[in-house]
Amino acid sequence: MQGFDYKAPSSAADALALAGERSAFLAGGTTLVDLMKLDVVTPERVIDINSVPLRGITHDRDVLVIGALERMSDVAVHRDVVTQYPVLAQALLASASGQLRNMASMGGNLLQRSRCDYFRDVRTPCNKRTPGSGCPAQTGDNRGHAILGTSSSCVSTHPSDLAVALTALDASVVLQSRSGSRTVGLADFYRLPGDTPWVENVLEPGELIAAIRVPRLVWARNSAYVKIRDRSSYEFALTSAAVALDTVAGVVRDARVAVGGVGTRPWRLPQVEAALRGKPATEENFAAAALLSVAGARPLAHNAFKVTLVQRTIVRALAGVR
Amino acid sequence: MSPLGQPVDRVDGHLKVTGTASYVADFQVDRLAYGYVVTSTIARGTITGMVVDDALRAPGVLAVYSPDNPLKLFAYTQAQNDETRPPLQDKVIRYYGQLIALVVAETFEQARDAAGLIRTTYDAQPPATSFPSGTAVNPPSGSPVQDILAPGVPSIDAALAASEVTVSATYTTSVNNHNAMEPHATLAAWTNDHLQIYTVSQGVRLVTQRLSTTLGIDQNKIHVYNPYVGGGFGNKWGNWAHTPVTAAAARALGRPIKTVLTREQTFTIVGHRPASRQEVTLGAKRDGTLTAVKNDGVSSMSPASNFFEPVANLSATLYASQNIHVSRRVIPLDAPPTTIMRAPQEASGSFALESALDELAEKLGMDPLALRQKNNSPVNPGNGRPWSSKHLDECYRRGAEKFGWSRRDPVPGSMRDGDWLVGLGMATSTYPASRGDASVKARFQADGTVVVAGTAADLGTAQSTVFAILAADRLGIPVSRVIPELGDSSAPTAANAGGSGSTSTNGPAVQLACDAAVATLIKFATGTPYFPTEPKYVDGSLVLGSTSMTFGAFLSAMDVPGVEAVAASPRANDPVHAFRSWGATFCEVRVNRWTAEPRVSRFVCVVDAGQIVNPKTAHSQIVGGLIMGTGQALLEETRLEPSGRFANANLATYLVPVNADTPVFDVEFLDYPDTFLSPLGARGIGEFGIVGAAAAIANAIHHATGKRVRDLPITIDKLL
Repeated sequence: MQGFDYKAPSSAADALALAGERSAFLAGGTTLVDLMKLDVVTPERVIDINSVPLRGITHDRDVLVIGALERMSDVAVHRDVVTQYPVLAQALLASASGQLRNMASMGGNLLQRSRCDYFRDVRTPCNKRTPGSGCPAQTGDNRGHAILGTSSSCVSTHPSDLAVALTALDASVVLQSRSGSRTVGLADFYRLPGDTPWVENVLEPGELIAAIRVPRLVWARNSAYVKIRDRSSYEFALTSAAVALDTVAGVVRDARVAVGGVGTRPWRLPQVEAALRGKPATEENFAAAALLSVAGARPLAHNAFKVTLVQRTIVRALAGVR
Repeated sequence: MSPLGQPVDRVDGHLKVTGTASYVADFQVDRLAYGYVVTSTIARGTITGMVVDDALRAPGVLAVYSPDNPLKLFAYTQAQNDETRPPLQDKVIRYYGQLIALVVAETFEQARDAAGLIRTTYDAQPPATSFPSGTAVNPPSGSPVQDILAPGVPSIDAALAASEVTVSATYTTSVNNHNAMEPHATLAAWTNDHLQIYTVSQGVRLVTQRLSTTLGIDQNKIHVYNPYVGGGFGNKWGNWAHTPVTAAAARALGRPIKTVLTREQTFTIVGHRPASRQEVTLGAKRDGTLTAVKNDGVSSMSPASNFFEPVANLSATLYASQNIHVSRRVIPLDAPPTTIMRAPQEASGSFALESALDELAEKLGMDPLALRQKNNSPVNPGNGRPWSSKHLDECYRRGAEKFGWSRRDPVPGSMRDGDWLVGLGMATSTYPASRGDASVKARFQADGTVVVAGTAADLGTAQSTVFAILAADRLGIPVSRVIPELGDSSAPTAANAGGSGSTSTNGPAVQLACDAAVATLIKFATGTPYFPTEPKYVDGSLVLGSTSMTFGAFLSAMDVPGVEAVAASPRANDPVHAFRSWGATFCEVRVNRWTAEPRVSRFVCVVDAGQIVNPKTAHSQIVGGLIMGTGQALLEETRLEPSGRFANANLATYLVPVNADTPVFDVEFLDYPDTFLSPLGARGIGEFGIVGAAAAIANAIHHATGKRVRDLPITIDKLL
């Protein structure tokens, strides 16, 4: 860990005023502090925003708004989230461990960095950490890596479960900077790695996430998050699926499907949703639709199983909410 | 009532759960400096240069020791399942993650930060890193082949050819790392030419032996203190590179130094379980009688340690067969040192043999349990010796009954619970038993307590509590009045913690030491004003006629702080018997019909390990072994890259079971004292629990899915 300047402002304006090119905002610290210890992230200034009033969960007929500093564990048991958006509660509870969820913030969760072991080991090359140094995961140990949205520069997955659930729900984030505030849909927030894998999202330097907005979706009551991993808990997803189904008399009227553990960013599947609409909610139809999830997949030496596993994950998730 | 055989809480349990037990890294001494280890980033070659100027100029840095500024360490003369050479004595790189420098600074952070400033250049050679494509060669020690053939049978292949039914398959296991909760650490402090050292160890005598040699000082000038150990599993047996380096650096610098390895460093510097491959062929009659057992075993081996696992050996001893062939070969890899890990050779050996038996049962159309019962042997097939005390049949029967084995539908894939395929599997569990020599001191103290001391180690096994129970039992006093002192090299030499030999070796010595201390106490008391003639010792008191004094009151009255004796217990010398612990492990596994993740839902384990000293902590030992076996079966795999780097040297991607992976455990001990081993009759249980667990799980997965996975760990991708 390298030395840094520490500030703890109590207003968003002060926090933004302190921010710059080599600063980092500290919320729960569950990713940032780890990466600083590993020398992967070396901010000159750490701005602790825990005293900035970015909390609260409000729910009206149009939108669920979650303050960026709300803790994962609190959101996961919020009554409206549990009853109206079970996919969110389930995604949160499938994340990390109880201790980490008690600390980790909602905004920070969306900004988690890659869990690729090459990214986290400064003795190896990594384009995301050191632009232009190379990507050992292309030919190295890549069982946990992505099959969708990859490039020759980077094949690491986006690790957040929450972001997958929010992507399925068409959520957006409210961003604040010194020049004001803007709202960006999650679909536009995350960037594909392309040949600039160190640019993971559209946040400008010194800009921060203030809140998460989830537009009202009545049939999200019928939603679920299924996360598949080697052990029962405390592991990032091999594959995951966030689904919601609107069925009438056993026929799908509408569907939401997003997947995790397979994409370089949270991966919405509009083609799967389209294939589900108007079809009877049967396992056969789910499987036929799920087949479309892996169009264009580029499996690597150790993760080809994800091509099959993600389809099965989608079907299992849909079967659970039909 | 005697506490022997009763469930007793750990004597140090309260200290441990309240965080007041001091582990090595917790110790502080005056003027302490901190060491930080620098490791290599190639697997094979030589160091051509190390630029340490920036590190030396960094704040707080006191010294950098490297091959350019080495510490004198003498060659090792004794194998300890660790590295064959002392560190920093040459510029040769033998594995990725090798200790190549020690930075010493005023604080840990300063040492760590300075370590990051060192630039090393290498002349790199291509390393050999592929176990599957490596060439197997004869091992550096021991016979490569063992054949046991019935009269007139020319070869094992002839025996197999004559068998009515055969099965043949290849089984492989992965590199595993121990990952004890407590990382390796060493604190060395010199006073003139005396070394006081705190270092994690499975036996403080191993430390004095090794450091005496490599530092060139007398063993009696080294005092090792290490009262608590946060898990060992084998890789705290040896004295790895950081320990002699820290001791020598402290001597050179004239300051005490504490070095704690990072988790990542514990993946490379302190050893791992080798990968293995076993080609197994079994021959049998149609009634299930084994006629031939052939196992050609191969282990990976790092030349840095020369350690390998003769994984096939178990196949020569577990079941009765007229014809047996096992071989032991190695594939040398430019990998971090290989070493002992819980149940070395047996854990991996059992996976192959017990899986093969399941495959044979299927081919014979026979119940897998019945097949094992059929081939249960009253003698060790390897040498014809009768087993000292074997109640394996009862383990099978009792386990089957508790588990509900009779409800198992033999057809794979036939049992379901909603979306989950349910499988039931079993395996025989076993581990050799032994008894070495040990000395223990027992001391009556004026405060009414009794100290029992020996250079044993309590790795979390509750060996300290075993000392307390056995002394309390022998002396007729409460457990709470016994003070076990382990992990201190000033005590008499008792057994190190390894090979499941602690209780079987130290237990009898504790008993004899108590007897000797009683004799000394009586002798001392006789002729004193309180006991003009020889008193008797009865449950903590000296009794003569109508006079009765507790030993504490007597010693206080005499103004004597204590009376003590040391007794030695000899190693087992039984020319007749063979010794093993036995058991049957049953498990239930669920595999999701969609996504194929395997989850263990139930374990039943019935254990025949002789006298059980403390059923409470013994239960924990078996449960711990079963959980570790679950890791070996389903999760644990250290992946060696072509560069020689371990790809997943961290606890996020080297997966071990979490609480949510631990199912319902039903563990039962049969409790037949093995009096051929010792009057106490206790065999070992430390390694035992892991043996059989992986095969039972693999067999249950086959029963659930019809898929036979012969390569550990059995992960989702192998079941889809």
